[in-house]
Amino acid sequence: MREITFQQAIRESMSQEMRENELVYLMGEDIGVYGGAFGVTNGMIGEFGKERIRDTPISEIGFTGAAVGSAITGMRPIVEIQFSDFLLVTIDQLVNQAAKMRYMFGGKGKVPMVLRTPNGSGLGFAAQHSQSLEAWLAHIPGLKVVQPSTPYDAKGLLKAAMDEDNTVVFFEHKMLYGMKGEVPEEAYSIPLGKADVKREGQDVTIIATSIMVQRSLEAAVQLESEGISCEVIDPRTLLPLDEETIIESVKKTGRAVVVHEAVKRGGFGGEIASVIQESEAFDYLDAPIQRLGGRFIPIPYNPELEKNSVPQVADIIEGVKATIYRS
Amino acid sequence: MANEVFMPKLGASMESGTILQWFKEEGESISEGEMLFEVMTDKVNIEIEADSTGVLLKKLYEVNDEVPVNQVIAYIGQKTEDVEGLMKESLEDERDKTPNDNKEDHNLMPFKEREKIRATPAARKQARDYQIELNEIVGTGPRGRIQLDDVKEFVNKLEPDVKVTPLATKIAKAEQINLDEIKGSGVQGKIMSEDVRPQRSRVGEERREERIQMKGIRKVISQRMIESAFTAPHATITTEVDMSAIKEMRQELLPRIEEQIGERISYTEIIMKAVGLMLKKHRIINSSLQDDYIILHPNVNIGLAVAAPDGLVVPVIKECDQRGLTELTEVTKGVTRLARENKLNLDQMSGSTFTISNLGMYAIDAFSPIINQPESAILGVGRILEKPVGVAGTIVLRPMMALSLSFDHRIIDGAPAAAFLTELKETLEKPIVMLA
Repeated sequence: MREITFQQAIRESMSQEMRENELVYLMGEDIGVYGGAFGVTNGMIGEFGKERIRDTPISEIGFTGAAVGSAITGMRPIVEIQFSDFLLVTIDQLVNQAAKMRYMFGGKGKVPMVLRTPNGSGLGFAAQHSQSLEAWLAHIPGLKVVQPSTPYDAKGLLKAAMDEDNTVVFFEHKMLYGMKGEVPEEAYSIPLGKADVKREGQDVTIIATSIMVQRSLEAAVQLESEGISCEVIDPRTLLPLDEETIIESVKKTGRAVVVHEAVKRGGFGGEIASVIQESEAFDYLDAPIQRLGGRFIPIPYNPELEKNSVPQVADIIEGVKATIYRS
Repeated sequence: MANEVFMPKLGASMESGTILQWFKEEGESISEGEMLFEVMTDKVNIEIEADSTGVLLKKLYEVNDEVPVNQVIAYIGQKTEDVEGLMKESLEDERDKTPNDNKEDHNLMPFKEREKIRATPAARKQARDYQIELNEIVGTGPRGRIQLDDVKEFVNKLEPDVKVTPLATKIAKAEQINLDEIKGSGVQGKIMSEDVRPQRSRVGEERREERIQMKGIRKVISQRMIESAFTAPHATITTEVDMSAIKEMRQELLPRIEEQIGERISYTEIIMKAVGLMLKKHRIINSSLQDDYIILHPNVNIGLAVAAPDGLVVPVIKECDQRGLTELTEVTKGVTRLARENKLNLDQMSGSTFTISNLGMYAIDAFSPIINQPESAILGVGRILEKPVGVAGTIVLRPMMALSLSFDHRIIDGAPAAAFLTELKETLEKPIVMLA
């Protein structure tokens, strides 16, 4: 199968959908001629024109609000927020309006909107442009939260997000944009709420999101050579969360390590750990669940410190070993 | 403030009780009136209710621990409450009470032993499944935490791996034979293919025995039987009773009593009534030996041996001589039912002065029952069977029933025992005399 990048997979998914469905349009800052802050919409204005690839003023709450309105009135907007840190500017529209409308109008109105945004650290964008805030949104009933970790998943999950009648927040990790992988040419959909076992193993379950899936897979390869067999699970969507796949895996291995880039304190890893221990998997746990996440600091600008502030492969290896300690 | 749970004093003679089971785990919530634990006295097993509402904070004793009455055995309180302080308090109280005791760690020991064990949920589950106490296992995890592998290793040591040849393994799998039950004929008991071949296994089969621990009611029965059989010299005498009249009487009473109370009168109640009246007359049979005195009981309280699911129990029907047959039937059926459901309370099981054991529902003619101490005699009732008997020179069939009286020869001699049994026989053959 042909290989394309994560970034190309997202562009292809949107383009294919826009060719099929004229209600779909894009809105965001510099997404037209400039092609978006990370080049995701590069060239799309040429095919779809500036009516459907709409550059906006620098007012996230303004154009997000406009997108919510157009979604309620029948359009299917895709909003690009340059950096997920700026989500915080849109939060009233997103949390108080988009997430609530369908419920408050008893299903008569719906908000079929996708909000795409790059998140995460690793490229030297410093504290205001490098955060991972998915847990904030996974806390809100009425939203769906997606975090793809491969080009294949990105294309299929985005298709599902565009087909969804509720607002979906779609996080794209900056460091993954350049990642290449096999992606089918035709459009396909990966259901929201279905986790993927990225690697099967027997001894420890690693539940990782976004770029941490890739780092966990790397860690698993190294651990394999030491005789430790890791199962790596990518929930792919935090909301809805595929609890069953996680629980079944932990029942098999008896040990769990949860990894995300977001700050550990109050991060979604706590939720996953709780899901495990509240479930029937509790009686199978043979070690405390390890939770790996970013340090409780703003992401530093210094590249070494930046790297050090979020889990790396070595940290995951250490975390796994902590669950299988024997004296 | 947490509430203390005490070992209850369930009878005047009760000095200690054995905890048979806890119905609640530590940390579980419990409300007043809910069953908290089951205790065994020398007479009976009783379920004890909680007398306060809250969370079971701490259990100070485990199952099978024997605890003196009025000792604190658990605490119920609010989730956040700290019981350690309370425990120390009651501990110090106890110390004050026993000044002679060694002042050192002696008193602290039981609590030290019960220090929380670090173990993972998986290890705990495995230990539960194998019924292993965690404190027997050495943990190899961080800070001595017991992990699944520690339990598995412990189990493996208990049950050494069965040595078995590959072929035997295959055959066993195909034939669905449990290798644990096979005794190997190879070197060091190695299971060979011949051992598991179907035709062989039937011939040379040696099944493992089943082991049932003597505990609870079984243990109580055992101790009481030993006590009775080896302290009281038993003598047993038997006679046969013609039950024609009783049979007729029962047929007449049956519908009347059933209409009144919805219970069917059985021979047992009629025999109890007759025995009650006879005991009133033959007081030596209704007696107990206490040290150097023979106690002649003023009341006639008859115990009735009942086969409960866990073993023999003896509910007591008080003042049998005073009750009419309707009432006797009602009371007897009631306690027998409770006995079969293990629901008798201590009161319903104590105070008997004589016991009747009826095996009439089986094909048993006569037997020599063991006296229910501290009573001095017991009546064994056999089945009613039509037998040829000589009446006025002819042979006729009559419903005959054997009565066996075992008596404690220390107290009762043969003659008074025989007199009692004879008069009982006559009464049963001519029940009208009961009205006299």
